[in-house]
Amino acid sequence: MSDLPPLVVALPLLGSVTVLLAGLVRPRTGWPITVATALAQVVAVGTLATRAFGDEPVRYVVGGFSRPFGIELVVDGLSASMALLVAVVSVGVLAYARTAGPRSNPFYATYLLLVGGLTGMSITGDVFNMYVFLEITGLTAYALVASGDGGRSALAALKYLLVGTVGASLFLLGIGYAYIATGTLNMYDLSNQLAADPAGYTDPLVQAAFGLLVVGLFVKVAVFPVHTWQPTAYAGAPDSVSAFISALVSTVAAYALIRIVFTVFTVDFLAANGLAQTVLVAAAVVSIVVGSLLAVSQTEIKRMLAYSSVSQFGLVLAAIAVANTTALTGAAIHLVGHAIMKGGLFLTSGLIATETGARSIDGYDGLAERLPSGAGAFGVLALAMVGVPPAVGFVGKWYVALGAVEAEAWPLAVVIFASTLLTLAYFARIVERMYFREAPEPAASVESTETGATTAVVTDGNGPTGDHTSGSGPRVSLGMRAAVVGAAVLAIVLGVAAFQYGQLLEPTIERLLS
Amino acid sequence: MIDLLADRLYYLVSFLLLGVGTYMLIANRNVVKKVIGMNVFQTGIFLFFITSAFVTGASPPLLTAPEPYVSPLPHVLILTAIVVGVSLTAVALGLVVRVYEEYGTLNEQAIRQVSHDE
Amino acid sequence: MTELISLRPVAAVLVSAVAIVPILASRGRPNIRESWTVLAALAKLGIVASMVPGVLGGDTYVTDFGTFVPGVAFVLRADLLGVLFALLASLLWVVTSFYSMGYMRGLDEHNQTRYFAAFAGSVASAIGIAFAGNLLVLFVFYELLTVATYPLVAHDETDEARAAGRKYLTYTFGGGVAVLAGTVLVYWLTSSPAGPGTTAFAAGGIADLATADPLVARVAFVLLITGFGVKAALMPIHSWLPDAMVAPTPVSGLLHAVAVVKSGVFGIARVVLDVFGPDLMTELGVGTILAAVAAFTLVASSVIALRQDNLKRRLAYSTVSQLSYIVLGLAVLHPYSLVGGLLHIPAHAFMKLTLFFCAGAIHVETHTDDISNMAGIGERMPLTMTAFGVAALGMAGIPLVAGFVSKYFLLIGTVEAGGVNVIFTGALLVSGILNIAYFWPIVYTAFFESPGEADPKPLVEAVLGGRFGEADVATDGGSPDDSSDDPSGDREDSHADDHGYAEDHEGQGPVDEAEAAAHIEHDHGHDGHLAWEHRRWTGEESTWLMLGPILFAATGSVVLGIVPDAAVFLRIVRLIVSGVTGVSV
Repeated sequence: MSDLPPLVVALPLLGSVTVLLAGLVRPRTGWPITVATALAQVVAVGTLATRAFGDEPVRYVVGGFSRPFGIELVVDGLSASMALLVAVVSVGVLAYARTAGPRSNPFYATYLLLVGGLTGMSITGDVFNMYVFLEITGLTAYALVASGDGGRSALAALKYLLVGTVGASLFLLGIGYAYIATGTLNMYDLSNQLAADPAGYTDPLVQAAFGLLVVGLFVKVAVFPVHTWQPTAYAGAPDSVSAFISALVSTVAAYALIRIVFTVFTVDFLAANGLAQTVLVAAAVVSIVVGSLLAVSQTEIKRMLAYSSVSQFGLVLAAIAVANTTALTGAAIHLVGHAIMKGGLFLTSGLIATETGARSIDGYDGLAERLPSGAGAFGVLALAMVGVPPAVGFVGKWYVALGAVEAEAWPLAVVIFASTLLTLAYFARIVERMYFREAPEPAASVESTETGATTAVVTDGNGPTGDHTSGSGPRVSLGMRAAVVGAAVLAIVLGVAAFQYGQLLEPTIERLLS
Repeated sequence: MIDLLADRLYYLVSFLLLGVGTYMLIANRNVVKKVIGMNVFQTGIFLFFITSAFVTGASPPLLTAPEPYVSPLPHVLILTAIVVGVSLTAVALGLVVRVYEEYGTLNEQAIRQVSHDE
Repeated sequence: MTELISLRPVAAVLVSAVAIVPILASRGRPNIRESWTVLAALAKLGIVASMVPGVLGGDTYVTDFGTFVPGVAFVLRADLLGVLFALLASLLWVVTSFYSMGYMRGLDEHNQTRYFAAFAGSVASAIGIAFAGNLLVLFVFYELLTVATYPLVAHDETDEARAAGRKYLTYTFGGGVAVLAGTVLVYWLTSSPAGPGTTAFAAGGIADLATADPLVARVAFVLLITGFGVKAALMPIHSWLPDAMVAPTPVSGLLHAVAVVKSGVFGIARVVLDVFGPDLMTELGVGTILAAVAAFTLVASSVIALRQDNLKRRLAYSTVSQLSYIVLGLAVLHPYSLVGGLLHIPAHAFMKLTLFFCAGAIHVETHTDDISNMAGIGERMPLTMTAFGVAALGMAGIPLVAGFVSKYFLLIGTVEAGGVNVIFTGALLVSGILNIAYFWPIVYTAFFESPGEADPKPLVEAVLGGRFGEADVATDGGSPDDSSDDPSGDREDSHADDHGYAEDHEGQGPVDEAEAAAHIEHDHGHDGHLAWEHRRWTGEESTWLMLGPILFAATGSVVLGIVPDAAVFLRIVRLIVSGVTGVSV
């Protein structure tokens, strides 16, 4: 049907309201309605995606007000990938959250709102509309992070809120500058107007707009040094929420960055402003290196995974800075692949924490004997993240590295290659602990006796503090295991299928770079 | 120099507000005041937008109407942004209430110490 | 040269990968689990062997899975060089499986299921490396080999084992990064507006590389060689190998003398023969530098080996040295030296495997690891030490054993190549002498000495710096805890067997003496002298699970030395070299 684009955004919103109302009538109806909505979303987005990978994107004018006066929804290959990723991951995390996560109807309502916000952000063709969806995403993410028990979640959410709002406000300011310069808010129109502008791309007004928009999105993507909200937020949120947010929120923000840099400002802007490209490269290099170094120094697993995200998004940023076909294809593959791998890692760490109470690295000793499926999935996902072929982590890195070499950006290429070793540094020690150390005695596995006080708080919203090994917390359900194993398998399958995906994306990337 | 400032006075004020808001966000120890700082920051941006809407030398699209003309589109955008800001403040204050319930204080340093000991 | 589309290359790789599942599933039933391993090994050997006649006749078996990344297809190709390595690896895996059974059961090791599963995975990756059709597929299996062999290195789960595992991972992943960087550069160099790049192997070198920018080509070469050189134990990136001796001896044998290190030299062979090719290498001038590094490694590690008292460490340094024979042969780029280098791959494999298996058998039966405690052990383990002697003769290059044939070609090749290569001839000869110097004492002391009456061994026992450099004279005043040296204290670790590994270079010291002494009795010797318990030559010294493989490998070395062409390896090597250089040897 031709009204699919707005339906794809409206469906989760409607689902959210339904869940909330149903919760007033009968409790415990949240999960079925949410799952039904999420599955319908997958079908709808899938249908939309089949049309989006052609030479021309799917354009939809909302309310009959054609551009540049109205809001336009534009779905090209990249948008469709993001929307599909959002839909699929939301189903996967729901499978996990049935037993593990917070189980109230308001939680599910907020969850669906977040899905709607992310989808909207992926398919909009208007910058202010993107700001609105960005804020919707942010608000719902803050609320979801706060849905854990205890003060830690609330504090983490508050910090996330304050820092995230500054970022979004800078984004808004950037929109303002762009509007002043051109008088339009539609992305396609903006790119035309900016190109036609006599002062060209070196106009300070345009440069300021670029700078503000990009910095605002840096905050949302959690690039070093504006990443500080991320470790606290990921560690303080309930496990299912950490997985969902880590997989999707930064990913769609990175997509927004690609959209702004390439569709609105185009490659010509980067060519005209060497400083812009330098800044992007510098931010990428620093993120990759410092993110990994900070990850190595962490003892709490979820904080370590958060810093790992900083490093991996540095890789995506490097691809954006290089700005050629190969690199952007790699960026897209890595965005999808990283979402699956990081979401899977968070789900696995949640599974392990539920079963054994282990939230810090020390607790992972001998995990292979205690929980073989969890240890196995963690190992596979960790190696995929390091870049062992043929998993998707390797394929994304190949494209990005090749793009850097083709652009003859040698320092960047060296850092990209070295990132494998940096990632190995913080993942290898966990794999070693899981398989080659002995499990601690049950009486000694009490997490709270350790000096690292921050590790003792179990924040999945359900269990007591982590001094139990069985019985008192929620059980590990089939859904949890299935979600975890599914993520691990998907990481490898995507690696093999990544080439086909790259082929599909070719028209989209060409158009992005023209 | 002076007439440059005079021309752009409104913009300068809005950036001043941005600066004040950022300072409040960072320097204040009371969490509620941080939220207020966030609001001031956002207000600065709103004022920036609205100021930019004033078009010199234009008049409304009527046969005979005097200056000035203010473009309504930024106003509309800011209305949306104000609503967003209000909901953000609401969520923030809700979180502040919960933080107060959990930690018993609104002083950021005290909270940090307590949460580290957890 | 016909290319046959066939599933046999991928089947050869997958047989043991698939076998991992039943191995893991038969966790509690050792005999069933071991039979899966043997079954997989025999099947793999069968598939690889079935391709040999075709490959010798000029066919190449190809399995193409389609494009993996733009311009690079996931191709498994069984060509001459690939079949050389694959045949070697699969044949020796059969032998090692039986040996592993004897060894692991003899020591009552823990985690045997994980061990056998990881072993199966490692060999699958090794065959994948052998049959890789381009640099990228080679890289894929190279990394998978690292992942599969890591559990074997850290098998013991002691602190040393974990430290060795970490070192192993760091070195090999670092090597992998270098290989990836080199591969990307090669791809970029060969890509043009006309079409995407390629990393596919072509006998004699990839054509497009010849016209590429020489500086970048040299950088790519250095990166690739460094990356593969980590596993090929070129100095100075060799130091993971002696530390990896903490692994069980079958692992040290098959993997660290055959599969892992040979995959490193195999990678170098592919780079020299099929990516850059002899002509381009001569043009770029990189061959001599590589040969110099190899020659240095040859001699330096032989010298270091002289000083090792611990048998496994001595064998490890010997491996480092012998691998550089192969690299030297490849780097000199003369047809004869290429033949010598490539033939040394199977020759050294058979001989070194024999040596390691002997060391393992000695460890299992008598818990003796240091050479200084092996005086007269020929009484106790006659067959083992005879096999050891035969293999040692081969390592030194004595005729009738495999090492002689490859060394002969190497020497002729370096002499004929002329010019500066004569230095390498000298290095080879010096190394040959050093080989005798560090292997002969072992054989002599085993057969012709008895415990307590062994001659002193100054190379091993003397202190560096001479008599006046003894530890109790500290020129800087020393430190308080210098004198309290108690290595035996915490070595009596309860459960973990150290597999003959000595943390310090020189040997196990008093611990090993004590363990050996437990097996040496006054009653065994004449007139109340100390002696080892006497065993006859009928194989009662150890189980046939271990003796069979030892004798098989020793016999293989001799067969390869007497009829190398009929034993198929030399034929394959001659065909490879004539295919690459056009000169028939």
